[in-house]
Amino acid sequence: MIFSSIEFLLCFLPLFLLLYAVTPKYMKNAILLSGSLVFYAFGEPEYLWLLMVSTLINYFLGLHLARGAKLKKGKKKKQKKKGLERNRKILLALSVAGNIGVLAVFKSGIGAGGLPMGISFYTFRILSYLFDVYRGEETKETSFLRLATYVTMFPQLLSGPIASYGEVREALHEREFSANSIQAGLKVFTMGLVFKVLLADRLGLLWREVQVTGFESISTPLAWIAAIAYSMKLYFDFYGYSLMAVGLGQMLGFSLPSNFLNPYMASSVRIFYRRWHITLGRWFSRYVYIPLGGNRKGEWRTLGNLLCVWLLTALWHGSTVNFLIWGIMLWALIVMERQLTRLGMGKFVSRGVLRALPHLYLWLVIPISWMCFAITDLSQLGIYLGRMSGMTEGIYVNADDWKNAVMNYGVLLLAGGFACTPALEKLFDKWKDRLPGMLLLIALFWLCVWRLQVEGQNPFMYLNF
Amino acid sequence: MIFWVAAGIIYLSEVDGWQVYAKPIEQVKSWYESIKQDFRQAGYVQASGNPLWNTVSGTEGAVSGADGMFVSSGDRLQQVGAEAPDTGVQDPMPDAAESGTPESSQTGEINAPESGIPDAAGAGASHSSEPPDNRGTGGHDSPEPGMPGGWEAGDGPETDGAMGWEAQNVLDYQSVEDDYFGDAVFIGDSRTVGMFEYGGLEETAAFYAAKGLTIYKLFDSEIVTVAGQKKKITVEQALSEHSYAKIYLMVGINEMGTGTVETFAAAYKEAVDHLLELQPDAIIYIQGIIKVTSERSQQGDYINNEGIEARNEAISQLADNERVFYLDVNPAICDETGGMNPIYTFDGVHLKAQYIDLWKGFLKQHAILR
Repeated sequence: MIFSSIEFLLCFLPLFLLLYAVTPKYMKNAILLSGSLVFYAFGEPEYLWLLMVSTLINYFLGLHLARGAKLKKGKKKKQKKKGLERNRKILLALSVAGNIGVLAVFKSGIGAGGLPMGISFYTFRILSYLFDVYRGEETKETSFLRLATYVTMFPQLLSGPIASYGEVREALHEREFSANSIQAGLKVFTMGLVFKVLLADRLGLLWREVQVTGFESISTPLAWIAAIAYSMKLYFDFYGYSLMAVGLGQMLGFSLPSNFLNPYMASSVRIFYRRWHITLGRWFSRYVYIPLGGNRKGEWRTLGNLLCVWLLTALWHGSTVNFLIWGIMLWALIVMERQLTRLGMGKFVSRGVLRALPHLYLWLVIPISWMCFAITDLSQLGIYLGRMSGMTEGIYVNADDWKNAVMNYGVLLLAGGFACTPALEKLFDKWKDRLPGMLLLIALFWLCVWRLQVEGQNPFMYLNF
Repeated sequence: MIFWVAAGIIYLSEVDGWQVYAKPIEQVKSWYESIKQDFRQAGYVQASGNPLWNTVSGTEGAVSGADGMFVSSGDRLQQVGAEAPDTGVQDPMPDAAESGTPESSQTGEINAPESGIPDAAGAGASHSSEPPDNRGTGGHDSPEPGMPGGWEAGDGPETDGAMGWEAQNVLDYQSVEDDYFGDAVFIGDSRTVGMFEYGGLEETAAFYAAKGLTIYKLFDSEIVTVAGQKKKITVEQALSEHSYAKIYLMVGINEMGTGTVETFAAAYKEAVDHLLELQPDAIIYIQGIIKVTSERSQQGDYINNEGIEARNEAISQLADNERVFYLDVNPAICDETGGMNPIYTFDGVHLKAQYIDLWKGFLKQHAILR
């Protein structure tokens, strides 16, 4: 079940909230856990067992990894516990290998039947817990119920954000649940729903049209417009989903970390990826980049560590070659930016009109990188990039096709562009508690429901031909 | 809070009439029904002396139990089939040899492969009967000039139900150049829009085409732009103001979900008759609905090639080969599975821009000259 579906919005959510509200406080985790499992079972009944078994095994692993972890923090009794330390290391290696192994099996397509929903996300959530416990940054969770609630919590189960255990620990013990929190959460949720249904799904249609036409036959301007539309679609899809998750968390009394911070307003690829899918970047930084030495072991090691992170990020997104190209391209851009910064480029572009330069550069390279992300077939990718640059000769190109696209999607692209700026957030914060703002949000919510009702979850499925 | 709830209740009761919940309730009902049926099945099997019906191990009891389960799920399958829109064709027949010939000769045999979907997942899979021997079609390879529609007569017992055989009309088709379309109008849905945008005829021919156009609303749709005018006019109006020598009609994919083959054919006939009335001097080419890829066909919704074939068969009957001609481009764009060649399409429904030429080329090779 996905958030932007009639079943979720009008059946699961109200029913669950009702149950959750009437449940006594000490039972709330239990009802949340059961609700999450039901939620998962609706989308992926055949892999529910995997989620449950994985949670159970990792609960015990966490308990074992915690043995002696406190010693690190406290006094130095190292010598005595050398054997234990070694065992913990082995256990950590085994549990990481096990979790990653399962993920890898499914990602590589050996496990027939496709990827179990959300497995990348819950695996990473579990791993972050194990790492934290191993390092002694987090105390172990002795209650299976609480750990299972953390891992499976339905707002973040399928697509994140990847909250670390420390961020929800307190809320798992004691959290506030009130009409006010529901209302506040619902507002954030509505914003996410609007992004997903009214922006992402609509913009996705342009990308779809270009695919139907065939990349060989689009004009260069259309190739760019479609790439921009796809960039926005991806952002609003994911940002919308993350916002919905945060809103749902808020309704239930959790404060989940936000995943996006106006990434398209960044001035370099480096900064872009600090603001895009923040919780994933944070995960890689905490558990890969910094343990490898981060940027403290000289420039060359830093570049190597960055490459390592980007290769892993690419693999996490998919195992086809285009993701590798995507990752390496971003790594190369980040390396270039680092060198330019060292040469004093930062000062050069900090004055006057020149300040626009970094943004223009970002808006140039990011759509290109997203095309590498979107098109899994390499020859097709080559054709698309060729059409963007004008280097590939088009076949049966309709030179005016981009005018049609502008006519049909211009307003949407403008609205999307506006929603990429911090201005929308400011408006939201200003108006969300006033009557007109609330009425508008209500209207938008039901507009989204109506749209979903008309065209189903998948806007492509019920279109006319 | 109150606002949300109130707005929701108002919306649901006024706009939606609580229909949102109708589907889940129906689903729960159908689950309940199927569970009940399973139980009844179980009871039946138990009565026949197999208490082990629900074990999955390889005992004798389990085997017959599995049979019981199979029957019940089969029943469900048939129920689903009964609810689905009528597709007409029941027996898919492998016909690789004949549908796989994309080349159409100058003399213009129109091959309308009515079969050729070895459907593994669809309704065909549940059929236990042998498909009729396909080689029997060999007899129809001999052309029967002047007998359009008469080809069905000699089929004998092999023709069952809505199954049709190859239409073998030998007409005096000529090969022409683009200028042939100078006094032509193309009327159709998004596929014809594709022809407009990427066929290179936008300057030559007229196009009354729009996404989602159906035979039912063919004349009332306001889709024709008039130079210097913002409001579009209907096809009816446009056809009464302009006269054309050729009319190419391609609709039908949007109608797949509505009505039966018969109601569709009736509407189509009415539309063709009206076209004849409006444009008494025009040649009317009624084009068979372009098929979808076999993969798309097996997706399980109302769009499937069996249904398209059934409707094409019905459309083809409307040709009198004097003023109304039936053209089926499918052999030129389909692969050996009987669906559109996946290379030619992204979504399984529309030809990619660069392959529109296959369609256009087919039309250029199948022109009637007067």
